[in-house]
Amino acid sequence: METIIVVLLVLLALVLPSVLLYNRLVRKRNAFKNAFAQIDVQLKRRHDLIPNLVETVQGYMKHERETLTAVIEARNTAEQVRQRTSGSAGDPGSMAQLGRAEGELGGVLGRLFALSEAYPDLKANENFKSLQEELTSTENRVAYARQAYNDAAMRYNNAVETVPSNIIAGAFNFTRAAMLEFEDRETLQEPPKVQFS
Amino acid sequence: MSDTGFFNFAEAQAQARRRTAVLVGLFLLLTLAIAAVTGAIGGLLFGGAEGQMARMDQQREATAPAADSLLEQFDPAAAMAVGVGVMGIILITAAVRGLMLGGDGAKVAKSMHGTEVTRDTQNPAKRQLYNVVEEMAIAASLPVPRVFVIKHEQGINAFAAGNSPETAAIGITHGALSALNRRELKGVVAHEFAHIANGDMRLNLRLMTMIFGLVALSVAGRMAMRSVFLTGGGRRDQRVVMAAMAIGVVLLILGALGVLAGRMLQAAISRRREYLADATAVQFTREPEGLANALKKIGALQQAERLNNAHGEEVRHMLFAEAVAKRAPGLLATHPPLVERIRALEPGFNPKEDPIWRKPQKEMIRESRQELRHSS
Repeated sequence: METIIVVLLVLLALVLPSVLLYNRLVRKRNAFKNAFAQIDVQLKRRHDLIPNLVETVQGYMKHERETLTAVIEARNTAEQVRQRTSGSAGDPGSMAQLGRAEGELGGVLGRLFALSEAYPDLKANENFKSLQEELTSTENRVAYARQAYNDAAMRYNNAVETVPSNIIAGAFNFTRAAMLEFEDRETLQEPPKVQFS
Repeated sequence: MSDTGFFNFAEAQAQARRRTAVLVGLFLLLTLAIAAVTGAIGGLLFGGAEGQMARMDQQREATAPAADSLLEQFDPAAAMAVGVGVMGIILITAAVRGLMLGGDGAKVAKSMHGTEVTRDTQNPAKRQLYNVVEEMAIAASLPVPRVFVIKHEQGINAFAAGNSPETAAIGITHGALSALNRRELKGVVAHEFAHIANGDMRLNLRLMTMIFGLVALSVAGRMAMRSVFLTGGGRRDQRVVMAAMAIGVVLLILGALGVLAGRMLQAAISRRREYLADATAVQFTREPEGLANALKKIGALQQAERLNNAHGEEVRHMLFAEAVAKRAPGLLATHPPLVERIRALEPGFNPKEDPIWRKPQKEMIRESRQELRHSS
């Protein structure tokens, strides 16, 4: 009788903490997945704005065909990657792909806005100015959402790798989440610097 | 954690929080002390009066010797009654006031003649403001508050109002909208978001209601005195009349002193919360320059920052920079000196050589308007 009670107590002492640790890991995983969903919303907004931008710019920047084509291509690639990866938050391959595509897009967009400096008529265009503001704002939102995602992913990773939750993480296949870094650091690493002007 | 290297916002926040806790504790002690002192005096006076009357009834002696020591006269029950009564007056009026003032930030903003800015505004400057607010909502992980522009206000200022993140509103003066560029605007909006995130409006509301309770205490004192004058006269219980009179005077004086001390504490807490909000704003934007430059522009435009609005007193705590009299004594100022705040963000700041701080305001406004036109 006594041995049964002791065995039960020991089991309880082992199971209860495991349940708590497991739940904590799940909560942290949900947190970074939710943070990633926020990035996805903002990236979609960014991609939706670019066709309008190209439309507006086309009439003024006749000699910049190449850049405009590059912008459209980068935008289409980025949108494809976004759709493919929107469900796979934290997956290293997806995060790297997305980072590369968005970095590329940021780079060509930066070039486009640098070139636009040479077209005073374009810069005076109301539509262009408002698109520029919307894009600037979207870049900032992406940057802040990415910051939130990386913070959440780091908290999750800490839980996955530290004792004692790492034991539960190993047993139930909780893997490290990858950070999201955009490769064109100049445009997106420091959100406020993106003023396009 | 800090991307900027030299400004450690986490540590600045921890320090500001510690100091606020001390000050709030002092505030509670102040109220308790006032209740205890009035209670003690009440116990002495009423105890004395009763003892005297009893003796008078027994002996009918006109020349009552005041030989009893004060301690013997002390009546603990009366002291308790007066003390609890005083606490009751303070707490009940504070609660009523809190219910009246509390809640909706949009109401406060409208009472300051703010016009609301919505997502579908066509005005480029307002569009930019709304965008910046939405960006900061993401950075702060808070719901997007309602946004108002105070149209007829040329000074650079801003405020946050409302008791909770859900009912919060942010107001920006027209002057701030026209004089600040995007980054500076972001710094200012982030500072207001910091007030929302840190619960400063709720804290200030509590302090304000406590002070109001102390004001009610002086009012009660005045009423006690008046009632003595109205009903007093040739009654038999002259000692009781005298006691009531004395209690009235004590309440009046303690209430007034309490209000003064309370205001000083409120201002001291507020100054701490401003440093905290600056630190939190940098946590949100990850760049101290925008906020520092906005503060410098306020320094350059100093005379324009005074908000001429009847509601100034009630919301001044929430404002971005000191709104009431510029010559307010240091102890009653709700905001720390601008130079100190800028130095906290930018250690090498020197007002004498800083190009933004020293820029003439006309030139500044002209430039920022151009900037808005070209880049926004």
